[in-house]
Amino acid sequence: MARRKGLVINDRQLDRCDELLLKLKEVSGSTFLALISTSGQPITTASDTYHPETLSLASLAASSFAATQQLASILDEHEFTLLFHEGKSLNLHVSQVTDQVLLIVTFGRETQVGKVRLYTQRAIEVLRQIFEGPEDENPPAMDVDFESAAGDAMDDLFKDG
Amino acid sequence: MPLINFAAREINYKIVYYGCGLCGKTTNLQYIHRKINPDARGKLVSIATEEERTLYFDFLPLTLGTVKGMQTRFHLYTVPGQSYYNASRKLVLQGVDGVIFVADSQITRLDENVESYLNLWDNLLGQGDDLSKLGFVIQMNKRDLSDIFSVEDMNELLNHTGSPVTESSAITGEGVFDTLKVVCKQVIAKTG
Repeated sequence: MARRKGLVINDRQLDRCDELLLKLKEVSGSTFLALISTSGQPITTASDTYHPETLSLASLAASSFAATQQLASILDEHEFTLLFHEGKSLNLHVSQVTDQVLLIVTFGRETQVGKVRLYTQRAIEVLRQIFEGPEDENPPAMDVDFESAAGDAMDDLFKDG
Repeated sequence: MPLINFAAREINYKIVYYGCGLCGKTTNLQYIHRKINPDARGKLVSIATEEERTLYFDFLPLTLGTVKGMQTRFHLYTVPGQSYYNASRKLVLQGVDGVIFVADSQITRLDENVESYLNLWDNLLGQGDDLSKLGFVIQMNKRDLSDIFSVEDMNELLNHTGSPVTESSAITGEGVFDTLKVVCKQVIAKTG
């Protein structure tokens, strides 16, 4: 779970990411894709019918990836850029897009690992440009009343009984 | 800084419960999971040893609902308290927006509290983040037990930043939500 410098996603970035994930899902034969922050927060997903619990998945995948980076460090390797888990019916592939973004891909046994790796690597090159492009000249801002409204919502939710 | 997804109208904050082994971090999360409106929480994920000691972290996502058009979430994490798990603690701390330092009020746990408190600041400073943006609360836990330090004494020992302090008994739930509310309001005020 790498350090966040503050990650802000705008409409244009999300549209391009969604478009790319759908295309990647189609060409790679994968079942579920998710972009997450390296701190374990989901950004966007693409899937047909398979919907894992995204919040837990994002947290665990980011943590596993962070641990993998530390393993690399202990082994005097510069970095491990992907994490792969092979299951009986499902495989999980986690790869780094930028220092703040990871890509999760799940796919069945009928799909070739090499195919997923190839198309994922190509997609990452495009995703990297989306996230590392120039910053918005007029970034969106939070509603000025967000803090007080959130405070009221917390008073309501965080209570005993 | 939180993850702000303006396109999806979502904002996510990360809160970490820190403290020495057996101070009550996981108990805080278990109480919140048990008592909060089930519609507002996700699954409680625990990576623990066979003896139910935290090995890596516990994770509980909470949804505050839609606030001024933004789906607002708090992701709660604990760290493993035992001193030899520091590599794991550093990983969990990364990207944190707010920390609740859970202090065990028992007199016999003084050394462990101080060691954990110093370790927290070592790790935070090592990340190089702007700590003025960090929410921070000290929760003095186990106030229901005997042979405990006074709040004043603990404040002197463990609060060099003059941060807000709460009193709690996580096992009964006393003060658990109060503490969470204090840190969540802080992170929103500091990071907007």
